Amino acid sequence: MIEVEQLRKQYGDITAVKDVTFTAQPGEIFGLLGPNGAGKTTTIGCISSLLTPTAGHIRVMGHDVVRDGVAARRSIGVVPQEIALYDDLSARENLGYWGGAQGLRGALLRDRITEVLELTGLLDRAKEPIKRFSGGMKRRLNFACGIVHQPKVLLLDEPTVGVDPQSRVRLLELVRDQAHAGACVLYTTHYMEEAQTLCDRLAIIDHGSIIAQGTLAELRSLLAERDLLRLTGVFRPDAVREALSHLEGVEIIQSDETQLALSVSDASHRLPSLFAAINTAGEVRGTTLTQPSLESLFIKLTGKELRE
Amino acid sequence: MRFVFTSAVKDLRRIRRDPVMLLTWLGIPTLIALLLVVIFGRGDARPNGKLLIVDEDQGIGATLLAGAFSQGALSNMISIEKVDREEGRRRINKGNASALLVIPKNFTTALLEGKPAKLQLIRNPAQRILPDIIEQVLSMLTDSAFYLQMVAGPQLREAAQGTPTDAGIAQISVQFNHAIADLRKYLAPPVIQLETKVIEGKTDKPGGFAALMLPGMLYMAVFFIAGGLATDVWRERTSGALRRVVTTPASFGAFLGGKLLAVLLVLALVGAFGLAVAHFLADLRVSNFPLAVLWIAISGTGLYLFMMLLQSLASTERVANMLSNFVLLPLTMLGGSFFPFDLMPKGFAQIGRLTPNGWSVTELQKILDGAAVSPVAFAAVILFVAAAWLVVGWRVRRTAC
Ligand SMILES: Nc1ncnc2c1ncn2[C@@H]1O[C@H](COP(=O)(O)OP(=O)(O)OP(=O)(O)O)[C@@H](O)[C@H]1O
Ligand SMILES: [Mg+2]
Repeated sequence: MIEVEQLRKQYGDITAVKDVTFTAQPGEIFGLLGPNGAGKTTTIGCISSLLTPTAGHIRVMGHDVVRDGVAARRSIGVVPQEIALYDDLSARENLGYWGGAQGLRGALLRDRITEVLELTGLLDRAKEPIKRFSGGMKRRLNFACGIVHQPKVLLLDEPTVGVDPQSRVRLLELVRDQAHAGACVLYTTHYMEEAQTLCDRLAIIDHGSIIAQGTLAELRSLLAERDLLRLTGVFRPDAVREALSHLEGVEIIQSDETQLALSVSDASHRLPSLFAAINTAGEVRGTTLTQPSLESLFIKLTGKELRE
Repeated sequence: MRFVFTSAVKDLRRIRRDPVMLLTWLGIPTLIALLLVVIFGRGDARPNGKLLIVDEDQGIGATLLAGAFSQGALSNMISIEKVDREEGRRRINKGNASALLVIPKNFTTALLEGKPAKLQLIRNPAQRILPDIIEQVLSMLTDSAFYLQMVAGPQLREAAQGTPTDAGIAQISVQFNHAIADLRKYLAPPVIQLETKVIEGKTDKPGGFAALMLPGMLYMAVFFIAGGLATDVWRERTSGALRRVVTTPASFGAFLGGKLLAVLLVLALVGAFGLAVAHFLADLRVSNFPLAVLWIAISGTGLYLFMMLLQSLASTERVANMLSNFVLLPLTMLGGSFFPFDLMPKGFAQIGRLTPNGWSVTELQKILDGAAVSPVAFAAVILFVAAAWLVVGWRVRRTAC
């Protein structure tokens, strides 16, 4: 279990994380979704005692990470965003080293190494220096090193970046397996689909703050079952505002001279009346209609897209 | 702690996987040593040796003896100054010369008539190579002087009559040298004895120029390897391995301890190898092999931490490398690796002996010469290692995040 309470991390004037609060339960995959620079890695750094929080409290399996760091770290497995491995050692040697750092030894360590090598599909390449591995293989080994000691709490920082679709599916299965086995998994990503399909609960983070959190269903309901309608063309924002103010259940999320984003209930049936109204305030050239999703929620909450 | 060994094994494996790196570190000083020997052999390097001669004989024999030192390569190394007995004594005691040679009264007569005579050589114990050379030349001369008398007797006697011209002396000196070369083969009990004294009864050591250079060279290798291994931490930092260590329950001190253990073992190996080679090829005297190896390993680990301390001041790997090179080269030069302290100008040697590597070389030399274990030196290094371990551990852990 991870309990984060009013976490704040400051670098001089920059507040990387401000007042972040969430709890992740055993057996659950908790997602931290946010764009570049949102504060995901910083949050994980504070939980894994790599960084000292400026304020707030973090408990891992009941142990305060600042006051009782060693005990907290015993139950943590980290899969860092960068590939933190020894290039000139083999996969087996890397696993042996990081397993040893977690206190495993002897036959137990050997068995676990073989097990995770098998899980990640690296068993037949276990003996060669990993500098000959492809990027995706290194990612898988990076993951394997984080789970070799069967941690109760698993912190995953964008573990699928640069992994091909097949390996990604395999990796996500492995993450699910960890949760099914009872681990509490914290998973950060900026991939909407990943968060949607993988996470039991999630928090959306932007500029260091959590702007929404809950189950996927709860977050969707924040959109009030509305669709996201995005229009491109030439618009006069003031006139658009004026024209749409007469329509029920239409909310402007973003509006400028070339773009317009609207949150609309039952959009597919109301397109004709919407176009009629907007055409009085400009000219529509392109249209996209999106069903309620994390993406539309993110846009609704922040007024910008997750991926530029 | 177990993780110390796990970490040491990890580092040793990584070093073994990169043998080219290790060979380079060993190769650079070896190459420089060879180069220096070649240059030195050509006579371009001019060590400043001074031989004081007390000439109580005032004859041709003494002139010839002195003349032998002003020929060829020797003249580049050793300058001669004639002094009286009192001044000579005073100056050698102050360490202002390499050696003092006393040529007794009637030396020429003895030389010409094949009678016994006794030369006295007083060596400066602070220097090694130059007194060695002087002594070797002298013993060669005295060995052959007896035969010279038979071969060149007529010319010598002729020259002894009246005052010889400069050209005459030069000519005889040349013959003298040829004769020496010829006569080296027929060694016989010397008629003319060479009595050598080292003031304050210091023991002498065998081995020539190479043996003098090698301890310094060995430390250059040790220093280079220590510096190279110290930069390795940056690779661990860049890859994120350091950060990963911090997230495990293992202590960072144990992680660093593993590194120190690995460095200690590598340097012990390098030291043992270097000393063995120096002993068998260059006749370096190694009085206490295990102790010398231990000293090289421990002091080398100190140098490793010294370089780590220095590098922990840098903010990027590039700056760290620059800083490291900036310090390594001058320190190896000053620390007796390029030019042994004996051949350095006195002031430089004094400063050089105070550098961490120069001090280590000096202490190693003592061990090689058979001095007892210096508990103070060992304690100093171990204390430094312990203190630097803490500081470096703290600094590196901090910069890791
Ligand atoms: N050491 C540091 N010094 C100053 N600012 C920092 C430092 N580390 C991170 N930051 C800042 O903190 C903010 C959060 O960074 P963080 O790495 O947590 O983002 P992230 O969500 O992991 O992004 P990404 O998806 O790109 O990995 C950023 O604005 C970043 O510039
Ligand atoms: Mg990140």
